[in-house]
This record gives sequence, structure tokens and C-alpha cells, in this order.
Amino acid sequence: MTVAAPEPKANMGNPAPRYDAVVKVTGRATYASDMPLASPAYAFLVTSAIAKGRVESFDLADANRVRGVIDIVTHEKGPKLKELKLYSNGGYAGTTIQPLKSAEIAHDGQIIAVVIAETYEAAREAANRVTVSYTAVVPSATFDSPGTTTAAAKGQNSQFKEDPQVGNFAKAFEDAEVKLTASYDTPTQHHNPMELFSTSCAWIGDNLVIYEPSQYVYGLKNGVAEQLGIDADKVRVVNPYVGGGFGSRGSMTPRTAIIAAIARRLNRPIKLVPTRDQGFTIATYRAETRHEIKLGASRDGKLVALRHEGAEVSSRPDAYCVGGTKTTTRLYACPNVDSLVSIVRADRNTPGFMRSPPEVPYLFALESAMDELAVKLKMDPVELRRINDTTNEPIGGKPYTSRSLMACFDEAAKAFGWSQRSPEPKSMADGDWLIGYGCAATCYPTQMGPSAARVRLQRDGRTRVEIAGHEIGTGAYTIIAQTAAERLGVPLEKVAVFVGDSELPPAPVAGGSNSTASTCSAVMMVCDQIRQRLFKAMMPNQSLTDRAKETVGIGQTPATRAAKSDRSLDLEKAFDALGAGVVEEYGEWKPEDAPLDSFQAMHSGHVRLVGGHSLKDKIAYAFGAEFVEVRVNRFTHEIRAPRLVGAFAAGRIMNPRTARSQLMGGLIWGMSSALLEATEIDERTARYVNDNFADYLVPVNADVPGVEVILLSEQDDHINPAGAKGLGELANVGTNAAVCNAIYHATGQRIRKLPVRLENIEV
Amino acid sequence: MSDKSSSRSSGFDRRAFMAGAGIALVPLTARAAVQDPTQAAAQDPALPVEVTLRVNGQDKRLRIDARTTVLDALREHMGLTGSKKGCDHGQCGACTVLIGDRRVVSCLTLALAAEGQEITTIEGLATGDRLHPMQQAFIDNDAFQCGYCTPGQIMSAVACVKEGHAGSDEDIREYMSGNICRCAAYPNIVAAVKQAAPDIMKG
Repeated sequence: MTVAAPEPKANMGNPAPRYDAVVKVTGRATYASDMPLASPAYAFLVTSAIAKGRVESFDLADANRVRGVIDIVTHEKGPKLKELKLYSNGGYAGTTIQPLKSAEIAHDGQIIAVVIAETYEAAREAANRVTVSYTAVVPSATFDSPGTTTAAAKGQNSQFKEDPQVGNFAKAFEDAEVKLTASYDTPTQHHNPMELFSTSCAWIGDNLVIYEPSQYVYGLKNGVAEQLGIDADKVRVVNPYVGGGFGSRGSMTPRTAIIAAIARRLNRPIKLVPTRDQGFTIATYRAETRHEIKLGASRDGKLVALRHEGAEVSSRPDAYCVGGTKTTTRLYACPNVDSLVSIVRADRNTPGFMRSPPEVPYLFALESAMDELAVKLKMDPVELRRINDTTNEPIGGKPYTSRSLMACFDEAAKAFGWSQRSPEPKSMADGDWLIGYGCAATCYPTQMGPSAARVRLQRDGRTRVEIAGHEIGTGAYTIIAQTAAERLGVPLEKVAVFVGDSELPPAPVAGGSNSTASTCSAVMMVCDQIRQRLFKAMMPNQSLTDRAKETVGIGQTPATRAAKSDRSLDLEKAFDALGAGVVEEYGEWKPEDAPLDSFQAMHSGHVRLVGGHSLKDKIAYAFGAEFVEVRVNRFTHEIRAPRLVGAFAAGRIMNPRTARSQLMGGLIWGMSSALLEATEIDERTARYVNDNFADYLVPVNADVPGVEVILLSEQDDHINPAGAKGLGELANVGTNAAVCNAIYHATGQRIRKLPVRLENIEV
Repeated sequence: MSDKSSSRSSGFDRRAFMAGAGIALVPLTARAAVQDPTQAAAQDPALPVEVTLRVNGQDKRLRIDARTTVLDALREHMGLTGSKKGCDHGQCGACTVLIGDRRVVSCLTLALAAEGQEITTIEGLATGDRLHPMQQAFIDNDAFQCGYCTPGQIMSAVACVKEGHAGSDEDIREYMSGNICRCAAYPNIVAAVKQAAPDIMKG
């Protein structure tokens, strides 16, 4: 055992090594742009150098002279595509801005031409030789830019239905013994997954195969089919491995249908590998946000009033918003709550999901404010959380299915050495380095979506599981294999898993941290169907549904056989009784409270997630507590974060190894979000300035000395059959505030705007 | 404001680069595969040139655009897709291969400039089914999630050890900082390098 594979506690699976480990360390894992194509042509994008206006003309003469150029596609002979419809509006796309449709330009870096050539080198050179004449209009870049429009989110965005409110906030705040009003800002950020936004399209007759890193193969398949006006059954999306997602590949981008249409017209496979900087503008991003928090409390620390107002930037045509007030108004006991979310429209591409979309900005604000309130109350910030901990959310009074927030605080505080903290700011130092300790709560809604699966069992125990889930680095292959092995009682090494292919039974988008709960619940259900068939064959005279359900262990695993030896089923005998060589079952699972059209939607690539606060008589969240040590150099103001400690409880942990890795990566993401990451916008031109890995700062190994992840044992029987809460987006939430709270403790300076860089420190 | 400018499709014009460096490079290391080599090399870099690359112990003769990088030669012309393109700017390290004992970013190395040298990629690290100790260590320590940066991390890690830069955690962190892992498996990567280092030094 290594540190990477922690000993399982109660209600945890085995820390099995990754199913896809060997292919990933040998270079044999095939990502989208690794897929071989027969004699492909190469595409290179030309993107807009202005954020608003129109293309007056192209001069393509120089580009066309480049040897090997096949075609240059502009709006003047653009592909005829059906309109893009937003995923939240019955469509599939993350933006309704359709490039190559007209001369209009709606945002910086919009695709304005596609060069197709015999080689990548020729396509790139020709793209660089395309000369564009624009008529530019002064764009509105962001908050406070002239020309933006602002309106309440409610009523504009079908996924943001209400501004949560309860009691009488105004009066309670006015009467409160202790009050805090503070404003917070978060920046634009880009996911920057390592794999570029590649797309390869190959037509075989009327059938289209798309190789593209996607977090939702069914959405992409149906979306491209709709745009091309063809039957969705003729489109197949294949991506057995995805080089990181973080939300960037959840909804369809315009590039796919464009490349597919050009490939059809040229009757040739086309491979597009956009550049890193193009990835900043042809996909989505986390938009900048602003917050005002008002907290009122009694002198003993009880919250009596809470108001959270948020504003978010979106594009002109699309009302995207994350609306994290749904979480921040429900996290602590408070009888008087008010909230409001607004959307500010600017000349930008439509933003989209990025790891913990609502929680990262909104909890940064709330958990910073809680720390500020603790300072005002002269109270330990952990104790302030304890005083306001609750079993029921305050808006609707619904009970949390389970909530281990304070247990996480206690475990993490112990591991971190919180008791060593001297509470006064600027009171701890080591030579030239001011030391600060900070903490924050973290949480993420537990979500589930309808999912199908097909499982095949052979008499020798070999098992094949098919489900159109996605391996974006989360460990999907591994936990699906573990689930089937456990449920059927076959050895893990006999289970083969197939994901990342739209020909497989549909699974939900790999987003909202729903995948484990959804796919494992579906696989469990289908494995049970297999067991029931075998039991029925063995014991035809018994009523078997219940019996089979409680009987684990068809054969091969010694542990399950020993545990249930009186009821175990000999696999070969069962197959003999059934008179079959192979048992195959298909099944469709949907969560409690799922909408009526769930299964239909699942097949047509529409997301139907339920969970979090939207469940009928309960609310389901995973919780954690995060502690950070920062060191701020008193002369250079350099900020380092040598220690990150997080404790998390998320129901059943399917695999402590993959879970720990995701949470560790999440803590580092959170540190990065607090100290490094921001996409800088030139406010005059509404263009991104630092669109590459040298200037958009992400952590490297030297930035991350010490990370400790503690997994708490938690059982929750009220969420889904797998008993699992998603944790992929749990760890990068609280870290933002924890870092700033630690910086306050180190320096006495409260910083309310992310990211915090050395120029922001005024010690 | 009316503005006539070229597109922003790339910040780096490799044609301009070739006009300088290429004139020196091409005639030295490769023969143009066309009738009129002077014209081909100097005026039209898109005309294919012949080059022999030695990759994982095997020679492979290619006819490629003179501007082809080692990375694109491996991926697009030799079917060796283990090395990954993450930025094409030498900023992320996903394309790291060994040339001789040196780790290089293959996206910034022209194939022509690598002719005659020993190139080792992730595909050449294992011996048959027996994984290289660094590959095994990456599995044991769960040193990856999505896996896209992993080939580059592993090649870099092998060189890091051989350079003598794996003596302490701090050294490993510093000398592995040319390879970005967006999933942030960094602590596990450090553990993997530590585990494999003694085996690699033993040879």
C-alpha cells in the first residue's frame, strides 16, 4: 500500500489500481486526436481579432497559394447548419452564437474561417496568411463597461427558477447585534484541460464518426445530428479516454458540426487540433462574478440574517448563470434569508460550467464573510460554523440526508494542528515569512441522472459492462468494474468495461459530479437482473425477487462466498440450469424524483439531473472542511501555500485511491484559483490577453509541497442505490476562502478579490 | 475604428523562422525529395523532404514537410500517438521525449534537426510486457488521472532521475515543474519518482 491507496474505512470500496492504468503509462490510451484516420485532411481555424463588429472582406489569395491548401471555408460559403439551441432550452449547445453563418462577430476569437489542407503545416501556414478586413464596433467587455445590460437572473434562465428567501431579512439585519457587509469578486477562469479541443470527423457513407473529447457523448451525437439535419442514429461519438474535462466538454461547441459538414462536402476525414489559445475562445469559461454579503448575528455567534447578492457576466444572446445562492442560502441555520442573482450581458462568448460552477464563486464570498464575522465576534471560525451547523436547510426546512460538516472540521483541524494557531493576525512568523492559518467549509450537491447499462456474464465469470459514461480522469472505468465485480461476485480482473462511445447504453453528462452515483446505480441494477435470472433458473419454485436481491455472491470472490456461503450460487450450475452460455441484461435506472420524461430525454441526449436542494422532501450534499497554511514574505510579498489539509465525507467511497486523487487535485485547484488563475481581459477590446500556459498561471509541481486528504466514513441510505455522493467538485470550493482567510491571519489584510497575487499584499 | 489585421490564429510564424534557421538546417540534414532542391528548400517549405528518424531503436524513413516537428512526425507520420500535444509551444511538457539522454519538448524540435539521433518515446520504455520501473511507480502511486500529460511526465521523470535531480522531494518538485498536470496529481508524481529512482539508478 502507498499513501495514494488509503486503507478503506467503513462503507468504502477497495483502493484498486486504475482499470486504465497500464494503457495510460504506456502511451496506448487513445484520445480523440490519436485515432487513426484514412488519409485525413487537416483543418486549422482562423479566429476573430475583434470582439464585436463584422468581417468586411477576406483576402485569401496569399493563403490559397500555399501548397497543399484544399479549401478555405468562410461565412461566404459556410456550411448550411440548423440553428444552435442551448442545452437549457431543449437543445445541446453551450452557446447560440453560430460562427460562419454571417459576417457578424459576437466575441473575441470567434471562428471566422477554416482552412483545410493536405498537411497540418500547410493548413497552419495558410491560416496565418488569411487577411481579414473588419469593421469593428467598441465592445462591452465586462462589469462596468459602457453598453452592458443588467437584469435579474430569475425569469431569464430556465435553470435558475427562484431567488431563495425566508423570514424577514431586512428587519432581522437591522436589529442584529453584530453586522457585516462585504463585497467579493472572482475572476474569469478557463478550464485548460491538457487535451486540446480536437475534433476529427469521418463519414462512412451516410454515417458520421466523431472523435472528440466530450463529457457527454449522447448530447454531442444528438446535437450534431440536429445541426446537420440527419438522423441521430447515423452519428457516433467515440472517446474512450478524455484528457481532462472540468466542465469544458459538457455541452456542444459550434466547431463539431462545422468540421462534420466540411468533411461531408469534401468527402474526406478531417482532423482539427485547435491551438491552446483558440481553446480560450471556441469553448466556454468560468465568468467573472461579484458578490455582496450581509450577515447579522447575535453576540454569541448565531446567524439571524443572511443576504447574498451575486452578479455574473454572460454573453449577449445567452443568459448563462450559475446562481450559487441556492447553496449559500441553505448552508447554515439562519431564520431570515434574502438573495438576488443578476446577469450582466457583455460582448463575450457564452460562459459555461467549470468545476463546481456555482460553489466556487459563491462559497468564496460566504466563507470569507463567515471568517470576517468570526473576527468581529472574536470567535474561532471553526466554532462559528459549529454554532450555525444545522440538520435542516433553512429555506424549505428540508432535512439533509446526511451532513458530516463538523466531523470534517474536527478531523481536519486535528490533522492540520489548528490548535497551534495563535488567533491574532500577524502573530505567527518564521524568519522573513509571515505565517497564516485559515479554514473554510466546502460542500457540493449530490446529483443523479437517469442512466442505462448493459452487462454480459459468461459461465467462466468473464463480465462485460457497457455504458456510455466518460473517463475524464475520475476513475469511471475502475469504479464501474468494481461495482460489477462486487455485485456479481466475480474477480475484478475478469470485468471488462466499455465507456466513451455513443453506441453504448446512455449515461448522463459527466458533470455535476453525478457520474459515480448514476452509472454505478444503473450497473448495480442490471447486475441484479442477471442474478435474478440465474436464481430463477436454479430455484424455479421459489419467489425469487427478494431472495435474489439479498443474496450476494454468484461464485468466485472468496470474501463474498464466505460471507454468504449458504446462499451462494455456483456459476456453472446456474448456467447449466438456464441452458445458456451467456447471460446479458440491459436496464434503465432513474433516481427518485426524476422527471417523467427522464428515460426519453436520456436517449435523446438531454440532461435530467436531480439532487441537491431540488429533491422533494430532503436535501443532499457532500461536505468537507479545508485548512490552509500560507506563508507571505514580509519583504517581497511572495505568497506560498505549503500545506493544504482537507477532510471530506461523501457517502460510500467507491475507491479510496481514485477518490483521494480527485480530492487532492481539487484542493490544488482551489489553491490555484485563489492564488494563480485569472484570464485577463483587455477592457478596451474585450479580448483575452493571457491565452496560453505561460501567462495563464496554473500550478506546477513546485507550487504544491504538502497536501493531505482525509476521507471520513459516512453512510447515507437516502440518496441513491450506490449510496455515493459525487466528490469530483467537492474539494476545490472551500479552498478559495480558506487561502484568503489564511492570508488575513498572516498579514492582517483582508483580500476580497481573487486571485491574490503579491502585488495585492500591502504588509 | 476600422482595422485591417491578420488573423490571430497563431502567435508564431514558423515560415519566418524557417526563412532564417531553415536555410541552414535543411541542406545540412536532409535531401529535398524533388527535382530542384535549391528551389524546394529555399522557396517552398511545403515540398516534402526525406528524413530518417531513429525512434525506439528503429529507423523510419519519412517524406515530410520540412517544418514538421518531432511531435507531429511521431503522431501524424509514424502512428506513435503516445506523445501528446497540449500546447505546441513548449509550455506544458506533454510532448516530452528523450533525444539521447536529454528530455526535450518534441513540439519545439524540428524532425529534421533530430535526424541521426536516438529518440525514445513512451512507447519505447517498457520491455515487452515488462513495464519500466517509472511506469510501474506511476501506477502504484496513482500519479495520473486523465492520463493526457502522463507520457510526458514519465519521460521527464526518467530523465530527472538520470540527471541526478531526484535526491530530495524538493529537487523532484523543481525538476518536474516543466510538466503541467491539470488534474494536479503532483504529490503522487513526486512519490512515483522517489519509488522508481533507486531502480533506475541501479540500471
